[in-house]
Amino acid sequence: MTEADSEIIKPEMLKVYVWLQTSDGSIQQVEQEVAMYCPFICHEIHSGMGSSKNYPISLPSRVNPAMLSLILDYCRFHQVPGRSNKERKSFDEKFVRMDTKRLCELTSAADSLQLKPLVDLTSRALARVIEGKSPEEIREIFHLPDDLTEEEKLEPIKNTMDDPRIRLLNRLYARKRKELKERERLKNVETEEEHADDRSVDDLLSFINGGNEDSKGSRTSKNKKKNRKRKDHDKTAPLNCISTSSSNSSSNNAVNMNKKESNEPAVYGKLPPDLRNATKMLDIENDRFDPEDEFDDCDLDDDIDPALKEKIDREVEDFARRLNSDWPERMQEILSLGQDRRPLQLTINGNGSLRRFTSLDQRQK
Amino acid sequence: MASAFPEEVLEHVFSFLSSDKDRNAVSMVCKSWYEIERWCRRRVFIGNCYAVAPEVVIRRFPKVRAVEMKGKPHFADFNLVPDGWGGYVQPWIAAMAAAYPMLEEIKLKRMVVTDECLEVIAKSFRNFKVLVLSSCEGFTTDGLASVAANCRNLRELDLRESEVEDLSGHWLSHFPDNCTSLASLNMSCLASEVSFSALERLVARCSNLRTLRLNRAVPLEKLANLLRRAPQLVELGTGAYSAEIRSDVFSNLAEAFSVCKQLKGLSGFWDVVPAYLPAMNSVCSGITSLNLSYATIESPDLIKLVSQCRNLRRLWVLDYIEDTGLEAIAASCKDLQELRVFPSDPFGVEPNVSLTEQGLVSVSEGCPKLQSVLYFCRQMSNAALITIARSRPNMIRFRLCIIEPQAPDYLTLEPLDTGFGAIVQNCRKLRRLSMSGLLTDRVFEYIGTHAKKLEMLSIAFAGDSDLGLHHVLSGCDSLRKLEIRDCPFGDKALLANAAKLETMRSLWMSSCSVSYGACKMLGQKLPRVNVEVIDERGPPDSRPDSCPVEKLYVYRTVSGRRVDMPGFVWTMDENAALRF
Repeated sequence: MTEADSEIIKPEMLKVYVWLQTSDGSIQQVEQEVAMYCPFICHEIHSGMGSSKNYPISLPSRVNPAMLSLILDYCRFHQVPGRSNKERKSFDEKFVRMDTKRLCELTSAADSLQLKPLVDLTSRALARVIEGKSPEEIREIFHLPDDLTEEEKLEPIKNTMDDPRIRLLNRLYARKRKELKERERLKNVETEEEHADDRSVDDLLSFINGGNEDSKGSRTSKNKKKNRKRKDHDKTAPLNCISTSSSNSSSNNAVNMNKKESNEPAVYGKLPPDLRNATKMLDIENDRFDPEDEFDDCDLDDDIDPALKEKIDREVEDFARRLNSDWPERMQEILSLGQDRRPLQLTINGNGSLRRFTSLDQRQK
Repeated sequence: MASAFPEEVLEHVFSFLSSDKDRNAVSMVCKSWYEIERWCRRRVFIGNCYAVAPEVVIRRFPKVRAVEMKGKPHFADFNLVPDGWGGYVQPWIAAMAAAYPMLEEIKLKRMVVTDECLEVIAKSFRNFKVLVLSSCEGFTTDGLASVAANCRNLRELDLRESEVEDLSGHWLSHFPDNCTSLASLNMSCLASEVSFSALERLVARCSNLRTLRLNRAVPLEKLANLLRRAPQLVELGTGAYSAEIRSDVFSNLAEAFSVCKQLKGLSGFWDVVPAYLPAMNSVCSGITSLNLSYATIESPDLIKLVSQCRNLRRLWVLDYIEDTGLEAIAASCKDLQELRVFPSDPFGVEPNVSLTEQGLVSVSEGCPKLQSVLYFCRQMSNAALITIARSRPNMIRFRLCIIEPQAPDYLTLEPLDTGFGAIVQNCRKLRRLSMSGLLTDRVFEYIGTHAKKLEMLSIAFAGDSDLGLHHVLSGCDSLRKLEIRDCPFGDKALLANAAKLETMRSLWMSSCSVSYGACKMLGQKLPRVNVEVIDERGPPDSRPDSCPVEKLYVYRTVSGRRVDMPGFVWTMDENAALRF
C-alpha cells in the first residue's frame, strides 16, 4: 500500500459523531470534535454518554435547537486550531450581530453549556446594548416589568441630569404661588410697591417668555419650544404673563435679546427625549400655559394663609404622585413638610408595604 | 426573558458596564435587576461625602471593593472655605473597616484624613491596594509610615497635592523588604528628604513600578541611579532638576534616560538648570504628558524642549512659554488635547511675560484635538474668543482666567459676553466652563440658551442682576456644579429655581446678595437639600433676615443635615424658621 492509498483511508471517513438531545426531545448527530468544544458536552462524553442514538447527551433546557445550531457554528469555527486571532475576532464580531432577544437566549444557552468564551462574547454584546440607555429604554428592550415603585434607593450618586419632573414641579409651585398672589392682590386694594429692579427683571423676563405682543417673532420661537413640551395643549400665548407690551423696557439688552431670538428659532428646535416622556406621564390638570422661565418675584415670606399654603402643597403632591415616580422617599418628605402632616397615600406594592424590597433572598456571596 | 437568565450571567453582563451612569440605569430597570446589580457593584463614586451616609452606601452595596469620594467644595482650592469646615473621612473609614474587609481602593479628594484613619486603613483591609489622596490634609508622615508598613499588597500610593505634616522622611523606610507590589508612588508634595538608599532599594525590587513621582528633595545627581533601577517607568516626576554643571553627571543622566523606552509622562522640574534639559532628548518623542508647572524655564530653552515632544497630548506650563512658545507648539504638537498655562507672577501689576490671548488663539487654530484648556492671561478680546470657539467646536473644558477681575475686551472695551457666547454656541459638547473678565447678564442668557451639556460652571465678578443666575439655573439642563463668587445675585433667581437645586450636586455662592431669609426659605422648602450658611461674623439670626449671608453652600443629600458642622456653619432646615 502506497502512501497515496493510505490517504484514502483518512480519519475523515472514521469521523466520530455524538448524539445530542435538545429540550424539545429532538436528537441530532454532531461531529464529536466540534461538540467537545463545549465543556458540558465534553464531560458527558467522558462519562460515556452520547455515543449512540439510544443514549444521547441530554442538553440543558435552555438549549433549544436554534441555539444549539448557533453554538455549534461557533464551535465549528473556533475548534479549528490554525486560525489567527484576527480571523477569530472578525468571526466573533459578525457572529454576535443578532437581535437582543436571540442574544439573551444565546448567552443563556452558552452559559448552561459552560462555553465561557461564547458567554463572554455575548455578554459583552449585551453590555453594549445596555450602554448609554435609560432605564425605560432598557426595560423596553428586554421586556422587563416596571416594578420599582417605593424602593429605597440612593439618588444616582454620581451623574445626574436635570430631571424634567423637577422642572415641571418647580413650574407648578411658581404658578400656584402666583395665583395666590393674584388673589391676594385683588383682595387688597393697595398697589404693590415694586422696586425698579424687580420691574426691569420682570420686563426682561417677559421678553424672553414672549409676553410682548409686539414681538411676534420671538414669541413664536420661544413658544415653539414650550408647545412641544405640552403636546396636548393649545398653542395660544400664555395667559398670565407678567407684563404687557406697554411696559416693555427699552433697555438695549431686552431689544437685542429679542432680535436674537427671532433670528435663531433653530435654537429651540430639538427637544430631548426625556422631556417628551415626562410629558406623556403628566396629566396636566390646568391647561393654562406657563412659560418655564417665569419665576415668582414676590417675597415668598408673604402672608399666605396657611390653609391656602397647605392646599398648594397638596395639589403639588397630587401632581407629583401622578408622575411615574422613582422617588418615593422624596415624595414622603415633601408630603411631610411643615407641621401638618397629611396621611401618606403613596401607591403601595403588592405586599401592602412601603418597605424596601426584600423579596430576593439575601445571598451570602 | 429575564427569568431565563440566571443571575450570574446577568452579573457577568453588568461586569462589562464600567460607567457609573450605566450601572445606575441598570439598577433602576426593575426589582430583580436592582437586586442583582447592588450585589455585584464593586466601585462606588460619591461626589459629595455629605450626600449620603456611609451606612446607606454599605447597606445598598454590600460588596464594594473600591470607593472614590470628594469632600470640600472646589472653591476650597482658592481658600474660600474656612478651616474646619468639614469633609472628614473618619466616619467612612470606620464604617467601611467593619463592612468591607475586602476593600482594595480608596481615592479621596479635598477631604480631611487623620493619621488614625490611615492606621485603620492600614490594618483593616488585608487586600488593600490603592490609596490616592488628592488635595487632602490632616495627616502626617507617621500615617504614611503606617500604610507603608502594613499594606502588604500596596500597589498605589499617590499623595497628589495633599498638605502633609512632614515630620520626617523616615516613613519610606517602613516599606518592608518583601514589598514588591508597588506600581505607583507619588510623593511629590512632601518636603522632607527620604532615605535615598531605602528609595533605591524599593524601586529596584518593585519590578512593576510604572509611576514614580519624586519630591523636590531628591537630587538630580541621584536620578540616574533610580532610572537605571526602573527602566520600565512610564511616568516620572523628577526632584529638583538642578546640579552643578558637570559633564559626567550629564552623560550619566542622558544614558539613564535613554534606557527608559516606555516613558510617556514627565513632571517635577523644580529649580531647573537649563543645561540639563537636553539629557532628556532621547525620551522626548515618546512623551505624551508634560507637566512643567513648577519649571521656571524660559525661552528659548523652554521652546526647544517642548517642540521636541511632538506627540504631546497634555501640556501644563508656566506663562514663560509666551505667545511665541505657543505658536511653536501649535506648529509641532498636533496631538495636543489639553493645555494649561499657569501664571508665573499672578500678583504683579505689570505683565512680566509676553503672553496674550494670541497664544491661545494659535494653539486653538493649530491643534485640531485641543479639547481642554486652562489659561491664565492678562488680556482677552471677543474676537479672540470667537476665533477660538470657531476653531475648536470639540472643546469640552474651557477655563479662562483673566487675572484682573472684570477686565473688558482690551480692544473694544466692551464686555466679553459675545466672546463667551460664541464659546457656548459653537462648543456643543462643553462640559466645564470658567469665565472671567467683564461680563453682564447677557452672557448668562447665552449660557442658559446654548450650554446644554454644561455640567460645571464657575463664575466670579460677573453679571448685573438675578436674571443672570436665573438664565443659568433655568437653562443649563446638565448642570451639576455651580460655583459663584462676588456676583450681584440675590434671592429671586435662587428661590424661583429652588427645585433645580435638587437636580444638582452642589451650589456655592460667596460674597453675593443672598439674604438669610431666603436661605431659611430654601432650607424649609427643599427637604432633600442641605442649605448651609457659612458666616464667620456670628449667628445669622443676630442680623435681620434681609442681611446677605457671607457664603452659601447648597447640596443635595439623602441623609439630612450633617452633624459635624463647625461653629461658623448653620444648616437651614424646616426647623430653622421655628428656631430663629
